[in-house]
Amino acid sequence: MSVDIDKNVLDDYNVPQPNEISERDREDAMGAYLMMFAAVAVSLPLPVINLVAAIIYYYVNRTKSKFIHFHCLQSLISQIPTTLSNWFLLFWALQIWVFKNWKFDNYFFIYLGFVVLVNIVYIIFSLIAAIKARKGKLYYFIIFGKVSYNAVFNRNTDLEYDR
Amino acid sequence: MICWQLQSFYYCFTKTNKPIMLLEIKHHEHYSRKELLLRSFFGWFYILIPHAFLLIFVAMAATVLQFLSFWIILFTGRYPQSWFEFQVKFQSWNLRLNASFFNIVDGYPAFGFNGSHPSIEYDVPYPDHISRVSVLLRGLFGFFYVLIPHGFILMFLGIAVQMVTFICWWIVLFTGKYPKELFDFVVGYLKWNQRVTNYMAYMTDTYPPFSMKE
Repeated sequence: MSVDIDKNVLDDYNVPQPNEISERDREDAMGAYLMMFAAVAVSLPLPVINLVAAIIYYYVNRTKSKFIHFHCLQSLISQIPTTLSNWFLLFWALQIWVFKNWKFDNYFFIYLGFVVLVNIVYIIFSLIAAIKARKGKLYYFIIFGKVSYNAVFNRNTDLEYDR
Repeated sequence: MICWQLQSFYYCFTKTNKPIMLLEIKHHEHYSRKELLLRSFFGWFYILIPHAFLLIFVAMAATVLQFLSFWIILFTGRYPQSWFEFQVKFQSWNLRLNASFFNIVDGYPAFGFNGSHPSIEYDVPYPDHISRVSVLLRGLFGFFYVLIPHGFILMFLGIAVQMVTFICWWIVLFTGKYPKELFDFVVGYLKWNQRVTNYMAYMTDTYPPFSMKE
């Protein structure tokens, strides 16, 4: 069953369709979400490693195509809150056990649970986004998806894309 | 792809006659004695330090991509092409540096991914498909069936190459020539080493042959 859609209507939505995206672009877009495992890869348990990897990946790949740019940007900005919450957990733990400035209490446990939950949610959504990107689709995170979409598809940018 | 057709290059063939790696280092009739001395006494300062400083960061990126590639291949059966090209360029940079320190090429090794050396040709054809089972085996047991047997031989070969390099240093210093047989020995060692690296980096499915030749 086919549906007739006015071409002008489609042109209003400047979004690449899955069949227009090359395998290479799909793989590059997928890779953006996998930067969350960079710290594991280099065996350095520092929360900032993932963010640094995502920033480098973003700047290396953002001009390849709008599709890749969107996924790289979404991956990067969605990683910021996770990284900050991880950093604060590390800071808190160091203050308790290394510097002995703060006392160990239930608030720490609550925050620990919160951070674990944030990381699990982040990993699940990132993996879903990676799979969608591999299939040539756009996948929108809450808030971050809209920000990334506006930054890449709605804004007049000076970036010159390769494809 | 044109380069694959050139007869002068060494090929490593699989059972299906597909080249798995191209590494050719051109032997020259004459090698510069001045460069040899300069490289030997000050090479660490003007070659090693600047290159190593950059390569540390590039190597970290390559490690991240290799680790992630393992999982991507496991799920998709494909090595991401951009990442594959990154690894090839990184290896090419490494090879330029190694060739310089083995004194088998003259000239300053070029920086960066797009750099090249007129005497060195290196390329690895992109495989459309990588065996997931093979990658899993390599990831879990590669140390035993690849690194131990190859590493054992390469360790002794490496010692021999160091001795050859030392002998050739004097030969080049006095005659300006690098004996072809000894040159081939050093290049053969680099080829073998590179094939093992590629196999363990999941860039090919072909088990590296125990050979310094094709």
